[in-house]
Amino acid sequence: MTISHSYQNQLAQDRFGLKLTARLSDACDDLPYEVTERLRAARVRAVGQRKLAARQVAVGAVVSGATVALHSGDEGFNLWSAIASAIPLLALVIGLLGINVVLSEERANELAEIDSALLTDTLPPSAYTDPGFAQFLKMSRESARP
Amino acid sequence: MATERELSDFLKSVEKRAFKRSVYHVRNEESALDIVQESMLKLAEHYGDKPAAELPMLFQRILSNCTLDWFRRQKTKNALFSNMGDFESDADDAEFDLLETLRTQDDSQQTESAESTVDRIQTMKAIEIEIEALPARQREAFLMRYWEELDVTETAAAMGCSEGSVKTHCSRAVQALSKALKGKGIRL
Repeated sequence: MTISHSYQNQLAQDRFGLKLTARLSDACDDLPYEVTERLRAARVRAVGQRKLAARQVAVGAVVSGATVALHSGDEGFNLWSAIASAIPLLALVIGLLGINVVLSEERANELAEIDSALLTDTLPPSAYTDPGFAQFLKMSRESARP
Repeated sequence: MATERELSDFLKSVEKRAFKRSVYHVRNEESALDIVQESMLKLAEHYGDKPAAELPMLFQRILSNCTLDWFRRQKTKNALFSNMGDFESDADDAEFDLLETLRTQDDSQQTESAESTVDRIQTMKAIEIEIEALPARQREAFLMRYWEELDVTETAAAMGCSEGSVKTHCSRAVQALSKALKGKGIRL
């Protein structure tokens, strides 16, 4: 009985509240033009601010992405981003060293081929008439002697 | 995430009620407009990326906070705390029967249609005066619950109090309004 009365009282309260606020809603329709215009302007400004905020977030993301390899001392610095930004530099150094080794080896091989071609080739007779070559042979013999 | 259109439509649907609610609180149209504008901006700036379904709750909370901030700024804390007497129950409350009031109102409802426009406006003004006369927390709970049609849980969350407090505030507000309007001979 008490529960039923309480429930009915709650229902009556809700009905009263809704009926009364329906009257208040009617009052909203009669707002002065000046007020409705200012509300409209405030709404437009608020929606505009939202767009502005969204754009700022997007620009911030792009800028932070583009400068991640350049910035190393700001507040967002951490070890992993430093390692990530050092990887391209490291790859460049390793590449340059590799190219240098390959070029040096190629040049050494070319020189070795020329030397071996010269050494294995038979000497032309005119070589013995060259005073420099004669001196070279002489010194070679002397040095070979014990 | 609410689209720009959804946000705009939502604000359009609540702006007038928000303005009137603020007027009831601060009793100054200029300040009420400022509060509503500030609330709209805060919602759009900070919560514009939230789903559309969450906007009503967020907006009510922001509006309440902005209104409180206004009172703080105006250094009218006394105006808020003077309503503490509201928590004391009146001796005649126990004898008050809301059902009886509503029955009386329902019986005479057939004559409502005969009211002139002037009478309706006067009634509306009288209701607004009584709403303004309510203690701040009662008014806030009543308007959120029945005008914004939030449920008890949502109202409690928006007001930052317990569900029991919301029920108590609403019940007392309804009783106060019902008695005041009945005293003025106003029927809904």
